[in-house]
Amino acid sequence: MTSKQWLALFCATVLCLGACVVGFNWLADPFGVFTHKALEWSSYEMTLNPRTAKITYLKEHHQEYDSYILGCSSTSSFPTEQLNEYLDASFYNMIMYGADMLDVEQDAVYLLENYEVKNLVVNVYLDNACVYDQVTNPLSYSMPPETTGESAAAFYARYLFMDPRHSLDKLKAMGEDTYLTQSFDVFNEVTGAYDKKVRDAEAIGSLEQYYESYPIFADYPEAACFTDEDAITGTLESLTRIRDLCQEKGVNLLVLCAPVYADYWDYFDFDQVADFYTRLAQVTDYWDFSYSSVSFEPRYFYDETHFRNCVGEMALARVFGDDSVYIPQDFGVYVTADNVSSHIQDLRAAQPQAEESCTAQVPVFLYHQIDPQAEGDISITPEHFEAQIAALAEAGYTAVLPEDLQAYVNQGKALPEKPILITFDDGYLSNYEYAWPILEKYGMKATIFVIGSTVGNTEHYKDTDYPITPHFTWEQAREMVDSGVISIQSHTYDMHQWAPYESGQARENILRWERESEDAYRQVLSQDCGLIREAITQGTGEDQVHVLAYPNGQLDPLAQVTLLENGFDILFTTQASCNTLLKGQPQSLLGLGRYNMNQAVSVEQTLEWASDARG
Amino acid sequence: MSFTSLAFLLLVGGAVLAYYILPKRCQWMVLLAVSMVFYWVGGGKTILYVFYTAATVYAATLLLGHFNALKNAAPKEEKKAVAAKYKPYRRAVVLAACLANFVLLYVLKYWNFTAGLLQPLADRLSPGAQIPLSELVLPLGVSFFMFQSVGYVIDVYRDKHPPEKNFAKLLLFVSFFPQMVQGPISRFHELEPQLLAQRNLDCTSLKYGIQLILWGYFKKLVIADRAAVLVNSVMGNPWSHSGSVLAFSIFFYCIQLYCDFSGGIDITRGVAQLFGIDLAENFRRPVFSTSLTDFWRRWHITLGAWMRDYLFYPMSLSKPFGRLGRYTRKHIKGKLGKIIPTSLATFIIYFVIGIWHGANWRYVAFGFWNGAIITASLLLAPRFLKWKEALHIDDQSKGWHLFQVIRTNLLVFLGRYITRAPRFLTAVWMVKETLLHPHWGDLTNGTLLTLGLSGSDFLVIALSMAVLLAAEWYQEKKGPIRPALEKQTPFVQWLAILIPLVVLFCFGVLRADYISSDFIYKQF
Repeated sequence: MTSKQWLALFCATVLCLGACVVGFNWLADPFGVFTHKALEWSSYEMTLNPRTAKITYLKEHHQEYDSYILGCSSTSSFPTEQLNEYLDASFYNMIMYGADMLDVEQDAVYLLENYEVKNLVVNVYLDNACVYDQVTNPLSYSMPPETTGESAAAFYARYLFMDPRHSLDKLKAMGEDTYLTQSFDVFNEVTGAYDKKVRDAEAIGSLEQYYESYPIFADYPEAACFTDEDAITGTLESLTRIRDLCQEKGVNLLVLCAPVYADYWDYFDFDQVADFYTRLAQVTDYWDFSYSSVSFEPRYFYDETHFRNCVGEMALARVFGDDSVYIPQDFGVYVTADNVSSHIQDLRAAQPQAEESCTAQVPVFLYHQIDPQAEGDISITPEHFEAQIAALAEAGYTAVLPEDLQAYVNQGKALPEKPILITFDDGYLSNYEYAWPILEKYGMKATIFVIGSTVGNTEHYKDTDYPITPHFTWEQAREMVDSGVISIQSHTYDMHQWAPYESGQARENILRWERESEDAYRQVLSQDCGLIREAITQGTGEDQVHVLAYPNGQLDPLAQVTLLENGFDILFTTQASCNTLLKGQPQSLLGLGRYNMNQAVSVEQTLEWASDARG
Repeated sequence: MSFTSLAFLLLVGGAVLAYYILPKRCQWMVLLAVSMVFYWVGGGKTILYVFYTAATVYAATLLLGHFNALKNAAPKEEKKAVAAKYKPYRRAVVLAACLANFVLLYVLKYWNFTAGLLQPLADRLSPGAQIPLSELVLPLGVSFFMFQSVGYVIDVYRDKHPPEKNFAKLLLFVSFFPQMVQGPISRFHELEPQLLAQRNLDCTSLKYGIQLILWGYFKKLVIADRAAVLVNSVMGNPWSHSGSVLAFSIFFYCIQLYCDFSGGIDITRGVAQLFGIDLAENFRRPVFSTSLTDFWRRWHITLGAWMRDYLFYPMSLSKPFGRLGRYTRKHIKGKLGKIIPTSLATFIIYFVIGIWHGANWRYVAFGFWNGAIITASLLLAPRFLKWKEALHIDDQSKGWHLFQVIRTNLLVFLGRYITRAPRFLTAVWMVKETLLHPHWGDLTNGTLLTLGLSGSDFLVIALSMAVLLAAEWYQEKKGPIRPALEKQTPFVQWLAILIPLVVLFCFGVLRADYISSDFIYKQF
């Protein structure tokens, strides 16, 4: 080979290798900058760069939306479902993590210039209002050239010649993708918001537990104020231009200031914040949720800078005057140039809510069998049961039903002074024979969690010849429900099987089988939810079947998420612990602990557990 | 501008295009222009030091050239007298040029170190007195271009060649861009004609240049930068590691230093070769050295050669050393008396080489270490010879050769403790730890995997070092690799292009600081 040939071969090889990298990056397109369909995975691409991937997504789907909400990551928690309902619109959440107002303006201009827009909601979150025109990681933070005017060649070259490991990672993630949210696909591409299905299904209880799970709230890092005057001016100028463009195009503009966690709020110099809010009021009217009693409650926040979706629901309910939802009184003020100064005085005075006004402690008791010959862990004699109930009644406890808890949490409706919950698992005949009359006698209510497939099994386990502890029938259940004393709810339809009596692989609990596909499992569980709901409704006339006790108390995130998606929003475990309910936080109903009651539990112990919950 | 930056590659690519496209008389101007751009981008205003050195050297050599011309023009019989007449002037000029550069080098590189040493004295003499520190930025490659330039002045002084009369051409010699980062230190009579030559495009030159550049990048990016991760991790806090881990990190430092330095030189020489210029070799497979003296003939060759030609010989032949030699021969019997002056000069040379590396006690100690070992081996050589005879050791045997290589590498390895430890005393402590508390189990119990490198990184280093050593062994034993490669089939030759490119891309260009999507939302 001559040197000339060698050089030609070298150049050709370099070019080919370069072309391979470029071609691979183009095909995999992990940042969602190209419009081709191959290997499309919008939620992944949005995670890597929401700025580019969302614009690319809308090129294909913009006709499905007529309204947009814009802002930094906290914008995600203003649920588009609520906005759609209140404004009869179809919203897309354009949140971009780390977005400043320049990013928002560029997006707004692009949307207004290119698509039909009815409503534009802009979130002004304090810390993103204090930065302007910042780029940290070009690949993840670049705006598309359509919005910035950057040369398209430079923009696309950046993504074509990038480290191909970004593309390789996408392929790897495709193999690891699950139904649950993972670090590489944090967006729901259809709503545009963060996919918080796992975080929104986690059980939330006492503050101490929350601090333990999220130590950042217990030990919030110290930091200096980082208010930047130039950035604030830039933010306000961008907002002014957005306002003018909306006016020109006849688009309804709503400006919201998202809730800020109290310790984070302290990072900012109050006088500068006051000045910013005053100037903001000169630009536009806005709803300010930034600092109120909500800011002091960690359980309303995912982390130090992101409030939870349930808080977003409260905020939108305030904006649109929805009285059916609990909203803390001081949460959300409509600010105009006229009231801004008095509002700022109020901000200075923001206080946490008094603990007793927004939280409740509710002990829950778990019974199974009532049996004159009681023995073992799950049965109790009628006499001892009556003694426990009588003692509770005498001590002034009122037994409530799960929906009372829900009304407290979601609507802020008061609970009786000393609320307790009495529950029975499995649906034994003895509940009907012994418990119901005793409860009725003492004016107590209870919830029985039945296994749909064994209701009415008086002698044999389902259609086998195996003997079974008798279970009450649907007629008996209906009788109890009609009395107003008992609520019948779900212990699953057939996911609490007794393995020795089953011919195939048994579903002893609600969890996924090892090696069972996620899809198959979710289908089984969803189907089970439908069956039990239908069976209870038909069998007892109970109209709201949305409460479930986990069989054996076993649960995992996939089960939690699937149950919530199937409308089960009050969930009981077998964890022996007291329950803290927080108004406005429906997740405080997702992992209610219960004290296991049996013959060995004395009356004194019963009363102690009931009162411990208060302590 | 780093050799590993895209900007550097683009600059070189542009320079090569301009060099061969523009008229040949402009070729040296292209090199000068690119050199200026390179220095300006990398060193900013410190480019003024380059001009300063070029100007002092230019002035000095013109004067020296003038005196040389007068001397040479004199009739034969008057030559001696004329030479004697101008000798003081010539000496004054060469001294002035050396001082003009070395005093500046001293201020830039060594003043703060000296000030730190003198401060306690100043405190004692006048309490509260503060010796002012230099805040000057150390210019890029200052030790290289100043030594190269001073060498040129001395060569003109010695009338080896006439001075360069065109300042721009001299400036190119001082600032030729590939060698501004880490040498080599070239000689005027070797480099200048090549810089000024007018060339046609030579494909072989381009090919060799590209091959050498790729080899250099392989050593630098794939091996050195990887090894550096472990070295920096351990040396960031040596006190928290056991003796064996310290020794391992110094072993990796030896790998890192050699691959980084010689890789950089390969890139330098490869880039120069793209313009048809052959730069002096700076490394000749030092791992195969049989003695520390041999090592210094193979490691940073041009620095050693500079010291030999411009310091060792003049010193050894100077009057004071002559007097010393006479004195020792008279008062110390045997061979010892004869070699003492040489040994002293050797010791001084290595001491200076140590200091050349930087202003720090570590480098002083490093110079001392090398000087002491080499001087000791010189002084003890007769005794070694007797021992060898007594033990019936065959000088030519492979076993003896291997012993020598291992011994030399061990001495070099020990010397690296001194240069890499954060402080000299830490180096002493580290050696002590290695010998007294090694905890050898740390090398196999997974500790090494906690130091920033993954198992696959170790594998990459091991395989790459195997390739590197195999190539060097081939060169050492059989000669150049390229001719052997050129005899292969076109497919094999193509593989020799493809595989290095792929390896370089996967293990060198794709850096460890890659942030995967997992890290963007780790806390979600």
